[in-house]
Parts: sequence; C-alpha cells; structure tokens
Amino acid sequence: MIAVPRRLRLGKKDRSSLLVALPFVGPWVIGFLAFTAYPIYYSFTISFTRYSGFGEATPIGLTNYQHMYADPLFWKSMYNTLYYVALAVPVGLVIAIALGLAMNQRVREVAIYRAAIYAPSILPVYALTFIFIVLLNPRFGFLNYVIVTLGGPSINWLGDPGWTKISVVILAQLGAGGPALIFLAAIRGIPSELYESAALDGAGALRRFVYITLPLLTPVILYDLILGLILGLQIFTPAYVLTQGGAGAGAGQYVAGPDNSLMFYVLYLYKTAFQFTDMGYASALATVLFLVSVVLALAIMRTSKSWVHYEVT
Amino acid sequence: MRSFSGRGWTASLICLSVVVAACATGGGSSGPPLAGCKSGTTLATFWTSHTPPDSDSLKHVIDTYNGQSTVGCVKMVQVPGSETDVTKLMTAVRGGSGPDVYMLDRFTVAERAAAGVLTDLTKYGAGNLSSKYVDFAWKEATFQGKPYALPLDTDVRALWYRKDLLKAAGVDITPLDPANGPVTIDQVRTMANKVNQQDASGAYNVIGFVPWVDQGWHYTWGFDFGGSFFDSGTCKVTPNDPKIVSAFTTMFGDWAKALGPEKAQTWVSSFLPPNNPPQQWPFLTGKTAFIITGDWPLNWVKQYKPDLQYGVTYIPVPKTGDTPSTWAGGWSLVIPTGAKHADAGYDFMKYLAGPDGMKTYVTETQHLPTWKALGSDASLYQGDHVFFATKLLPVAKSRPPIPVGAFYWDQLSTAQDAVVRQSATADKALADVATNTNAKLQQFCPLK
Repeated sequence: MIAVPRRLRLGKKDRSSLLVALPFVGPWVIGFLAFTAYPIYYSFTISFTRYSGFGEATPIGLTNYQHMYADPLFWKSMYNTLYYVALAVPVGLVIAIALGLAMNQRVREVAIYRAAIYAPSILPVYALTFIFIVLLNPRFGFLNYVIVTLGGPSINWLGDPGWTKISVVILAQLGAGGPALIFLAAIRGIPSELYESAALDGAGALRRFVYITLPLLTPVILYDLILGLILGLQIFTPAYVLTQGGAGAGAGQYVAGPDNSLMFYVLYLYKTAFQFTDMGYASALATVLFLVSVVLALAIMRTSKSWVHYEVT
Repeated sequence: MRSFSGRGWTASLICLSVVVAACATGGGSSGPPLAGCKSGTTLATFWTSHTPPDSDSLKHVIDTYNGQSTVGCVKMVQVPGSETDVTKLMTAVRGGSGPDVYMLDRFTVAERAAAGVLTDLTKYGAGNLSSKYVDFAWKEATFQGKPYALPLDTDVRALWYRKDLLKAAGVDITPLDPANGPVTIDQVRTMANKVNQQDASGAYNVIGFVPWVDQGWHYTWGFDFGGSFFDSGTCKVTPNDPKIVSAFTTMFGDWAKALGPEKAQTWVSSFLPPNNPPQQWPFLTGKTAFIITGDWPLNWVKQYKPDLQYGVTYIPVPKTGDTPSTWAGGWSLVIPTGAKHADAGYDFMKYLAGPDGMKTYVTETQHLPTWKALGSDASLYQGDHVFFATKLLPVAKSRPPIPVGAFYWDQLSTAQDAVVRQSATADKALADVATNTNAKLQQFCPLK
C-alpha cells in the first residue's frame, strides 16, 4: 500500500469544507473537462489519423507531422503569424501604456476621453475590418490621403504583400482600449507618496515614469505580454474578412492576400479542417500551435523573474 | 433544512402538468407543420447560403411546393457559408442537427461526398434522372459513380465590353459583335491599350483590360488555351499541361508585366477591394473597358445602371479560328448525412431541381438551367441572356469533379497570384500545384 503524504490527508473539517466547495467549483470543473480538456485530448489523438470528421479515422502514425515539415503553407502561415505577433504585441503594449497614461490625466473632461479611447474596443473586429478596408484604399482611403498630403508615398496596404500584415497590426490597435483600462487601474494603484518623494528629490516627469511607474507596471506588462502573445498566435478574424473567408474569391484572385501574406496559422488550420475536410492534419496543426504557445509563454515567464517587480523594494 | 411546503408541491404539479400538456398537444397535432403546407406532411429543413435576390426566388419555389405537396413541408434557413466554406454544415451534421437538404456548390460535391458529409442518393432512384440533366452538371453531382446531388442552376463566363469607353478611345468595336465569332487576344490587347488612362503619378484611372480579375480565373484561361486540368486515366491533376502554362504566361505573367504589376495591383486594390459591393463594380463605374465575368451581372446592370452601353461576346481566343470556350459552375441540392427527414427532403429536391421548380428559379434569378429540356425554352431568357444560354452554354466545360477540388482551386489561385506578381514563372508555379495536389489526391484513386 502506498502511503499518502501527510500534507494531502484531509481532516474532518477539510472534508466538510471540500463538500461545501465542490458544488461551487463543480460546474466550472465539469465545463473545463468537457469543453477544454477533452477536446484537447481528442484533437491530439486524431492528429495521428487521416480523418475527415465523419466515418472512421484511419491511423497513420506520425504522417501528419512529417507532412507538416514539407508543407510550404505550414511554414508560410507560421512565419506570417510570428511576424504579426513580433510586431503587434510590443506595439500594442506601448500604445496601451500610452493610452493608460493619457486616461490618467487630471483634467475635468477625462471621463469623455476615457470613453472615446475605449469605445473602439467594444466594436466587433468583424465590423472594424470592414471599416478598415475603406480607410486603407490606396486611391481613396483616409490613411493614404494623410500620408500623401504629408509628402509620403501612396501605399497599397492590402495589395502589396509587404504591407498586408502591417495593416492588420494597425487594425489591432483599435482594440488597445481594453488593455489600456487595465494599465490605468495599475497606474492609479501606485502610491502617490512615491511620486511626491521623487519630486522632492528633483526627479522630472520622465525619471518618475522610468523609475517608478514603469517598474511598478511590470506585473501588468507581463500579463499583457502573455495575453497578447496567445491572442496574437490565434489571429483569425481580420484575415478571414480581408480574404473573404480565404475561399479563393476576391478582387485580386488571391487565396489569403497577395503571396498568401494573410494566411495566418489559424486561418490555415480552419481551411484545412473545414474546406479541405482534413481534420487529422488540422489537429496536428492545432497541437503544434499549442506547443508553440506554451513554449513562448514559458520563455516569457522564465525571463520575467529578472524584470517584473511585484513590490516596491 | 426546511421541508417542501404544500405551496411548493402545488407549484411543481402545475409546472409538470403544463409540460405534459404541451408535449401531448405537440405529439397529437394533425395540422400542417407550417402555415401554407398541407396537413400530414413532414417538415424538412433546407439550408442555403444564398442571399437576396436568389434566396427570394428560392422562397417563391418553396411556397409553391408547400402549397401542393402531400409529402414534404419545407422551411428555408439562410446560413453562413460560401462556395467552399461549409463549416456551418459540417459542424451541424457532426452534432446531429444538420438540415434535411443543403444547397452546395456543385464542383465540391465529390469532395464532400468523399469526406462522408453527403448521403448517397442511389436508394431514391436519383440515378434514373441522369439523362435529364446536362452532362457536365450530372458528372459533378456524382462521386465514384454514385449520385450524391441533384444539379440546380449553372452559369457561364463571357467577355463584357464597354461600347462607350471603347468608342471614346477611337476603337472600332465591330469585331466584338458576337455574330463575327470570337476575337483574338491580340485584338483585345490592342483595343484595351487605347483605353488605359494614368494620372500624373502614373497610377491607372482606367485600365482597358485586366485579364486576371473577376472571373478571369486560372480555369477560364486554361480552358481557353485548350488545356486539360485532370487526367482521369492516371488519376492525376495536370496543371502543368503546356497549354495551361502558356495561358498563365500570356494572360497573367506577360500581361501584368506590360501593365506594370504593381500599378495594375494598385488599380485592383482601389477599384476591386475585398467585399466590393456590385454597384461599385469597376465595369459599371467605367474603370475598365473589358472584363471577364458571368451572366449574373445582367441583374446588376438592370438594377444599378440600366442605360449602360455594353456588349457581351466570346472569351477571346489565342489565334484566329480557334474554337471559343468557357466554363460553367453552379449549385446543387444534397442530403447531408444523418438527415432526419431525408425522404421529405428528397421529394423537395426533386421539385426544386426538376422542370417546374428550376424554371421558376432560373427565370427569376436569370441563371441558367441544368435540366436539358429547359435549355431550349426560349421564354426563359431575355436580352443578352439569350447569348449565354444559346451560344456559350453548349461549348462550356466544367472543373474536374475530384475529391480535392477546393484544395486544387486554392493551389491554382496561389500560382496565378505568383505569376501575376512576377514572383514565379508559370512553369515553376504550376509544377508546384501538380506536386501538392497529386499528393493529396492519391488517397482517393482510382476514381470511377
């Protein structure tokens, strides 16, 4: 018989507490097991099969994973996604902090500014993307009008593979109001005595930001980085709308933007599953995405020990 | 813990009796399932991704069917989807809540049948209807020799030209009269170049002809140059057929190079952006003099610019004397796997895809019929539609009905894009298409 470690033994009072707690956490646990844990397990198992989603799955071992290595669209979609994440996450972080600082200004009409900054975040990405298509028109769009008026070049935002992903990065910034609110809350949580002391010592606004605000925001920055990373790796809706479902239809006869430059990983996974009815390969793609997400998130967590400050020291 | 009170028991009994009464009423009803249907008919659900005006016509056909059928009573539901995107259907069928009838792009029937999404219609006697439909449409509706769909409408592609723009540029448009047969690609190129207009920055305001937009697909030009996309004998796709390579080189690579690939793509992004509404179609707005498109814009012209000075003719051929070509697409009706009221669903399919239903549908939508007997019914066509029905449909080809059709389409589109942008030669791009697609196709070979 295996001895149960002492610390895991539950006393009468613990068992009683557990019985009270279980009905409260039970629904979540059941939901998690049924709708998250089991699908992940199921997806992992069918990644070793050839399966359309109907009928019997045919076991094929590691073939789907081997095929991935030779599949140019796998690499293309992975590159597009990592490119997007590498650009969108830091840019989004800087903009969210800037907006958080702007929302913290002591002016009478700050409530109006906060609402205006936050408002785009509550619009569906689907609707924003449609608006963006008009704003990004190379001949008649507002963005090019401003750039050309200022003496810059006319950019073919959605027709030049060098600019398509940057267009999506810009689009993503319309949702910066959400994280900005979290940064605002964090900024307001910083004790004012710290700023007063620093001001007495002669620190200017920039020094106060760099040596007080920024270090004390690092826990929220860590949260925003990991969340941005996970959401960035799953970027889908803008590409889906811009490419009309990646269905090969559209003006320039692209599949997913010129040179497949908007073929993001999840769009490719979606097409593989539902347009090419290859659930086995799509599941293998999902497994790899899961692993990439975990590895990148852990890497950020690992480095966080050296730059995240949870308290004033 | 407090005991259950008398008032609590009373409330529970009332609730229970309401539920029981509701169930009893539902189960024992002998009235029609829907208003407008006959009593004793079975409710069948029909899903379509079509939007008005096509869905309005479908509704008219359904209303007529419901009023006369003693078998089925059809409820139409509009669902998200497109030609190749059937996510809603697949997830619903997998979840056991799919429809009884679904309207599916016909060229994907083999692909969906191979995946197990569709019901084999042999047991309903669908095979006996094969001779009633035009050949290419029936072939698309089958997989491994078995019928999985009933064909509905079809469509064909043609060269549209703006008479006013061409005349203003000093072009003699007489050769474009379809009575003179097809013009050559060189003739169209000469005419189109006279129409090109650039602004001070060099950007195109008007381009005579961009052969790769709208319906200027890989299949359009591949067929036009006499190419073959599939070899049924070897069960291999053949995108690297020299004639298709030549089509890609001439119509995409060389044409884009002559216009300036970046400038041409800027024109495309400006005047044909994603999700462009039909009223801003560049042919209507005078931004191009030629365009390859189907017969469906006839309705756009009627609705948005009835005074448009335009003409319709054959797709230009590589050299004088070549036989004109085009290709036909279209939709079909299928019964998804696990349909709960498949019998009633098939009864409706036979009506909609039969002479009466199809006649109403194609007359109202100005689409073309696949029911052979309707092909010669002159009352169905008006104006330029007559040209599509009588001159183009008889010479139309169709995409190969293979179980990797959507994948093949994507691969060809990727190659087309690469050749237009000058990032790959037609040879190289199409060789890649062959390699990638045949690797996917082999699991289904041989095909009957």
